[in-house]
Amino acid sequence: MIYYLLLPFAGIVLVVFQNTLANVLFSGWLTLELSLVLVIYAGFRLDALKGAVLAFVTGFAFDCVSGAPAGLFAIIYLLIFIFSFFVSLRFAAEKLALITVFSLACSLIESALLLAVYYFVFKFENLGDMLFAFILQALLVSFLSAGAFYMMHKMERFFHGQTRQFPRRAAAGRISAQA
Amino acid sequence: MFFKNYRTVIFICAAVVAALILLSYSLKYASGTGMVKKLVLEAAASVQIFFNIPVERTKSAWTRYIHLVGLEEDNRKLRQTVAELQAQLILYQEGRLEADRLRQLLSLQQEYQHSFLAARVIGKEQGAFSRSLWINKGSAHGLKPGMPVMVSQGVIGRITDISWHNSKVMLLIDQSSNVDALIQRTRAQGIVRGAGTRDCVMRYVSKTQDVREGDLVLTSGLSNIFPRGLLIGRVSHVGRTDFGLFLQINVVPFADFASIEEVMVVTGVPVQDLAGEKTVK
Repeated sequence: MIYYLLLPFAGIVLVVFQNTLANVLFSGWLTLELSLVLVIYAGFRLDALKGAVLAFVTGFAFDCVSGAPAGLFAIIYLLIFIFSFFVSLRFAAEKLALITVFSLACSLIESALLLAVYYFVFKFENLGDMLFAFILQALLVSFLSAGAFYMMHKMERFFHGQTRQFPRRAAAGRISAQA
Repeated sequence: MFFKNYRTVIFICAAVVAALILLSYSLKYASGTGMVKKLVLEAAASVQIFFNIPVERTKSAWTRYIHLVGLEEDNRKLRQTVAELQAQLILYQEGRLEADRLRQLLSLQQEYQHSFLAARVIGKEQGAFSRSLWINKGSAHGLKPGMPVMVSQGVIGRITDISWHNSKVMLLIDQSSNVDALIQRTRAQGIVRGAGTRDCVMRYVSKTQDVREGDLVLTSGLSNIFPRGLLIGRVSHVGRTDFGLFLQINVVPFADFASIEEVMVVTGVPVQDLAGEKTVK
């Protein structure tokens, strides 16, 4: 229960932190989407209920702080979470190359969705100028994801002696990292 | 039973639907100031303030560091510039002082109708018994032993030894130096002899002569060495003892022997300036 109580505050802290960091490092030119990395990680590591709540809350906090229409990032994060969740049934989180490519894909999907919304709903033009920034952002997210997954893997080994395996994820057809 | 089995799926679908409704609502009614959003923004602002403190401090420290780096660089350049300008200033000062000295030396030619040759002092000998200078002109330049050597303040000695390109000048204060001299005011004649640290003494001036402190002492021109009328110095002390025939006269030369850098050698003297010789030296 405490997870659900603390989640909104943690989500807000994370979003504000990533915005501050992005402002310091890139002067607002790029967004350092740690929240997206967290959502992908949740898709691979958390159960569906906790992960969905995390994705929704973090997305909503991002909507509020970034000034995007309320619900835009919430639904995008939810979709990415669901996508990650289903991918995690087939692939293991320990395979960092896979995580890197998958995160890159997720970030590009997010960018495509954002561009689509802003193009079709808000009739924004010259969105092509933002493509370069989105690509850089996707690369950044992919490398951050690889780093985050590696660190979390090490931490899980440190605290639990081995990488935690959720029963739900032990599908027979998954591809192991050791494979 | 159905709800229990598909609770998670139902919840996720509900969340997606809720997000879609929220998005549709916010797109249609772009007020953007719902209660939940206000709460989130309120909390986010507090967190933002918390994060801004170290960020601002870091920025401030970084800005100061960059500023200090710039200052250090500016300071280094300014120090270098100051050093270069000081070196230039010293050169200019030296040049001006040298020009002043040379101008004074040249004024000798206008003051006296002698022929002069300028020379630079290249060395000094300050022995217990001898006081002399080395100059950078010698026989190759027409110099001969015995030629008087002057500065703008007056005579300082004569050439004693000579090589092709250098000469040695025995100073007035050398204890071997003897110069025929006279007191300008009374024309009393004597011999000025070097006294080392006590400058010079004037000998063989009779007690009957009127000599006072401050009287000017000039060369008399009686010998074949110094032309008449060259300034030697000023009487600093006159001693009268009960015994002996002569006065004890101390003479302070006009020239400052410690700071001589350029000299003029008298290479030719008009006939009328030589009392004992009829030829031009």
